[in-house]
Amino acid sequence: MLSNTMKMTLAAMSLLAAGTVLAQPAGAQDKKFKIYLSLSYSGNAWQSETANIVKALAATSPYKDMVDLKEVISGTDPQAQISAYESMVDDGADGIISFPISSTALNRTIKRGCDQGVLFFMYDATVTEKCAYNVSYLTTGFGENTAQALVNILGGKGNIFLSRGVPGNSVDKHHTDGAMSVFNKYPGIKVVAEYYSYWDDRTTQQETAKALAAHPDVDGIWSQAGEYGAIQALLDKGGKLVPVTGENSNGFRLALANPEMQAKGLKGVSAGSPPATSGYAFKLMMEVLTKKRDLKAMNIEYPLPWVLAENVKVCAGDRFENGCNAFPESKVPSSFVTEVLDPVMLPELSMESAINGTAVDGAIIQPLPKEVKEAVNAPGINCEKCDAPADAYKPYKIEPIVAN
Amino acid sequence: MTSRSQNTSYIAVPDKRGNAKVSRETISAVSVAVLCVVILLGSRFISPSLGSWSQVETVLTLGSFLVVLSFGQGLVILSGGLDLSLPALITLGGVLSTAWVGAGNPDALFLLPLVLVGCGLVGSFTAVGVVWLKVPPFIMSMATSIMVASATLGMTNGTTRGAAPELLTDLMKSQIAGVPASILLLLAFVFFGWVLQARSVFGRHVYAVGTNDQAARIAGIPVTLTQFLPYVISAVCAGFVGMMLVGYSNGATLRMGDNYLLPSIAAVVIGGSSILGGRGTFLGTVGGAILLTTLGTVISAIGLNFGLRTIIEGSIILIALLVLRDEFFERLRAFRRP
Repeated sequence: MLSNTMKMTLAAMSLLAAGTVLAQPAGAQDKKFKIYLSLSYSGNAWQSETANIVKALAATSPYKDMVDLKEVISGTDPQAQISAYESMVDDGADGIISFPISSTALNRTIKRGCDQGVLFFMYDATVTEKCAYNVSYLTTGFGENTAQALVNILGGKGNIFLSRGVPGNSVDKHHTDGAMSVFNKYPGIKVVAEYYSYWDDRTTQQETAKALAAHPDVDGIWSQAGEYGAIQALLDKGGKLVPVTGENSNGFRLALANPEMQAKGLKGVSAGSPPATSGYAFKLMMEVLTKKRDLKAMNIEYPLPWVLAENVKVCAGDRFENGCNAFPESKVPSSFVTEVLDPVMLPELSMESAINGTAVDGAIIQPLPKEVKEAVNAPGINCEKCDAPADAYKPYKIEPIVAN
Repeated sequence: MTSRSQNTSYIAVPDKRGNAKVSRETISAVSVAVLCVVILLGSRFISPSLGSWSQVETVLTLGSFLVVLSFGQGLVILSGGLDLSLPALITLGGVLSTAWVGAGNPDALFLLPLVLVGCGLVGSFTAVGVVWLKVPPFIMSMATSIMVASATLGMTNGTTRGAAPELLTDLMKSQIAGVPASILLLLAFVFFGWVLQARSVFGRHVYAVGTNDQAARIAGIPVTLTQFLPYVISAVCAGFVGMMLVGYSNGATLRMGDNYLLPSIAAVVIGGSSILGGRGTFLGTVGGAILLTTLGTVISAIGLNFGLRTIIEGSIILIALLVLRDEFFERLRAFRRP
């Protein structure tokens, strides 16, 4: 493994050396783009998948000869990311692609970088600084749509748990506000327990187990990432399962499609944060850098994945082909986030790219679809002094049932 | 002579007061246990489903991780040290048992103990730093923690592959004669831990070294070895907790140990041990761990917002600690004897 990587690096280096010697007279266009990948922490499947696909794309032809990619991990502290950005700007970065730790704390540094001609692309999480591009699904209404799906399944009546993300986080608040805007319309829906699960399977399982001790008669669970833990807590309890809505873990998708689990009462929908946004953001950035695209919209939306039990389809190979959207248990861990591949936006990648950050042999970067979808305003998320549209928090994926 | 012997303040009188017959440690262990029961029964007022056998099962299963972990932490603290590397070792144990051993591995029975040996080696690394190089335990175990955490990150590239070996899922999920195996495991472990700490020669040595290592050396106790072993045991316990967590949730993540460091220290202190070493019992620590878990379960059922809930939880822990201190019992004693 290591020796392979070294061999590849050596080969790439010698190729590069040859390339630079040969290409020298061709001039400025062969200068390599200096791009930084700035992460929060690299400790969960979601974070590492986003980083891995950016690395895989940067190692895919022709980007591999054009890009010099450096990765920096800053942990969960905005101060560390601010100083990381500062060093990148001072180092003469052409572009910074990043998962921002805070939506506001980084703004001044980003502005300083923009003024020096650095391109900023944020993926998944966003910043309110106007000169940075935000590529995210956050404005697609994960909270309200999954909440509506749960309400419809329950027929507008029942006791539910909310399994939330990280306390004080703007994304968690946005999702929960969206969900509550739906639940509040139905007097029959009662939130009997609300707990923070830190977007983690294990924490979700333990917190759900605690909540189940007090409310064994729960009728449904609305969950952010970590949803597979909620199902395991229900299974530990024995007996019946209840409807669960959650995000995109492979374990959850397989459970939804599992007839045994369905017979026990599991229903739900898998939606939520797709790691593929990082790859999409990186390709957009490269098209802007190589002058192939004039990107006017600053807030770009990535569509919300929406997979119902009947739509779960297990992939035979390592790619999303023929509409498949999950992998067999033997290939990936249950915490693997499935929506890291995208047959339209990121056809260059395979499951291995997401796990190891390696390029697919012989793959060539394909151009992105011409159109981008501009995101609506979300105050505090992607803009500072702005108003949300009147129909914000309106579910659109499914028809709401009538409250009784 | 006779006049002096009549003056009782000069000679030792056997202490016949009831509460002096039992040691302070026993009192605090019993009080913690009583507090657990009170909270469990009182929780019926919050939700009628609480206080049932099934809640006890939940508490014991979730608490078993903390009990095993705080046994190791307790030994280290008893010997006068502190171990901050536990979260990293939990992760190491968990990641090795999913990614290296994995599901469907016929050799799991031999490989899993090897994982524990590996964790023990990491523990002895910490111990070498603390005992021979005289690095303060706080710094040494933190350094180990950072190195181990980074090594697991590098090994896995961030994604932990593999699933739990069947042996571990059986350990945590199966039932033996209607009782969850995890609870039987907990009972067995508590017995083992109690024997090791309270009844073995090694356990006595740890108390002696933790109280005063100079005195212990003069008394002929192998001080170096006695300070060394707790770190190894603690690391093995943490690795084992990693395995238990893997069995419980069928997979590992790189942050699976993060939530356990402070509770492991809190359980030891709530259980009546001195943070400076030399005093405390394992049964008290078990009580502390179960108390923390019970509290967590009950608090999460209160329909208040998160901020208020954690304030209540913090306050109860603080009150428990204040009430369970020796001084409190001394005062109580003084109060009853006018």
